[in-house]
Amino acid sequence: MTKLTFVELKLLTREPGAIFALLIPLFILVVFGSSIEPGDTVLVPMALAIAVGLVGLYMLPTTLATYRERGILRRLSATPVRPVRMLVVQLILQLVLAVAACGLLLGVAGGVLRAHLPSRWPLVALVFLLGAGSLFAIGLLIAALAPNGRSANGIGVLLYFPMAFLAGLMQPTHQMPDILVRVGEYTPLGAFRQSLQDIWAGSPADPLPLLVMAGYALVVSMIAARFFRWE
Amino acid sequence: MAVIEVNGLRKSYGELTVLDGVSFSVEEGEIFGILGPNGTGKTTTVECVEGLRQPDEGSISVLGLDPAKDGRRLRERIGVQLQHTQLPENIKVWEALDLYASFYAQPRDWRELMAEWGLDEKRDARFGKLSGGQKQRLFIALALVGNPRVAFLDELTTGLDPQARRTTWELIKRVRASGMTVVLVSHFMDEVEELCDRVAVFDRGRVVALDTPAGLIDGIDAEHRMSFTLMDGEPAGLADLPGVTGVSRTGDRVVVSGRADFATAVTAHLARHHVLVSDLRIDKRTLDDAFIALTGRSFGTKE
Repeated sequence: MTKLTFVELKLLTREPGAIFALLIPLFILVVFGSSIEPGDTVLVPMALAIAVGLVGLYMLPTTLATYRERGILRRLSATPVRPVRMLVVQLILQLVLAVAACGLLLGVAGGVLRAHLPSRWPLVALVFLLGAGSLFAIGLLIAALAPNGRSANGIGVLLYFPMAFLAGLMQPTHQMPDILVRVGEYTPLGAFRQSLQDIWAGSPADPLPLLVMAGYALVVSMIAARFFRWE
Repeated sequence: MAVIEVNGLRKSYGELTVLDGVSFSVEEGEIFGILGPNGTGKTTTVECVEGLRQPDEGSISVLGLDPAKDGRRLRERIGVQLQHTQLPENIKVWEALDLYASFYAQPRDWRELMAEWGLDEKRDARFGKLSGGQKQRLFIALALVGNPRVAFLDELTTGLDPQARRTTWELIKRVRASGMTVVLVSHFMDEVEELCDRVAVFDRGRVVALDTPAGLIDGIDAEHRMSFTLMDGEPAGLADLPGVTGVSRTGDRVVVSGRADFATAVTAHLARHHVLVSDLRIDKRTLDDAFIALTGRSFGTKE
């Protein structure tokens, strides 16, 4: 298991997609962050949501569907190691990637841009876990349903843009029609951004987006488990 | 001692019967061939034996274990090369070997295997950059890295050029020399003829014959031909020789057709009567002929 994790980690660092997942949100943060007032509570949560969304909706499903398509999971089932280990290792590593991306964003935001950072870190961690849980669940569902790696990638793109739009990652929510903002609150990415923004603004945690994320994490991952195929 | 015993395997997917009562046994230390065109149940059979699929009916014992119940213990002792599987593009040769070795309780030294299979130079090459032959050698090395008692190799040389096929065959012969039992699934007649001690011929989900390659070829009773050009003398009485079914002559060129070992009788006859011939040709019977005789249809080696 240790060796599998280590080798998969090396493979992840050789994956150009992983670099993109780190750099795209950082690029957005730096471009918009250079001309923003110090008390801003919108930009950093947006960048964090973009980062976790990229990992959950692109990286995870593409990797898993590609592994299935190439028969890697099937080849594993012919060894004493059960292929479910690969699934666990991938989930852990993609979570590590998401943490790394967020850590990088927070470091640059706090250290370089002097942006506002919250002090309630346990709450940040909880929201991060719920957000990652709900987005990874959707990634797993894509991996379960996509026939191959390329289509998993395509479905990820198709889902990502409308979800990012509804979540207020394309433009601030106060510039959006009310009805879209309402709908967005019930998407995992929207609930994630909203919860983070609440923390950044110092307001008490609203239970609704937390419940939305927990609900997606549970229900969608159960559906994904139901439809997942090893070959 | 039988290492693998398969009895009365049946499997169907809906209306489609894939296995229709497959039985055979594999002896320790032999290279056992499973031969047949695509879609005749070869791979399904082997995957049942490996414990990757469940038959609807029938019993399987591999090294005394039931693949359905003792799957994990069994997979410690067998090595598998599957058709249509790849590795991640970016994994390096040594990393793949090292990783797969870590899956087994008592693996072989992967460095040794890497050298044996001629992959030393490619140690740090990524999987995606390997040639077809190198990939195939890596797959076989991965099948052997757990130090298995039985290795299953499915479509070993599909997609390889003739040179790479020859090299692979030589390496497989070395594997047998080490005492390992090898089950070789193939739809190539020449490969089976070259490598296998015994062959089960599959057709439409059944084993239609099981013998040594030579036995299968000798077992068929098809007519074949020999021809030669007369240099000196007259070939009289050829038509009366045992096995000969027809003689025809065009100028100096004589064509004799017959069954079984008629060619030996004909050459002996010519020698006895001091008939000098040149350009003697005997159509060699091959497993292809055996297959046509067994199944009533041609093999069609195209993928």
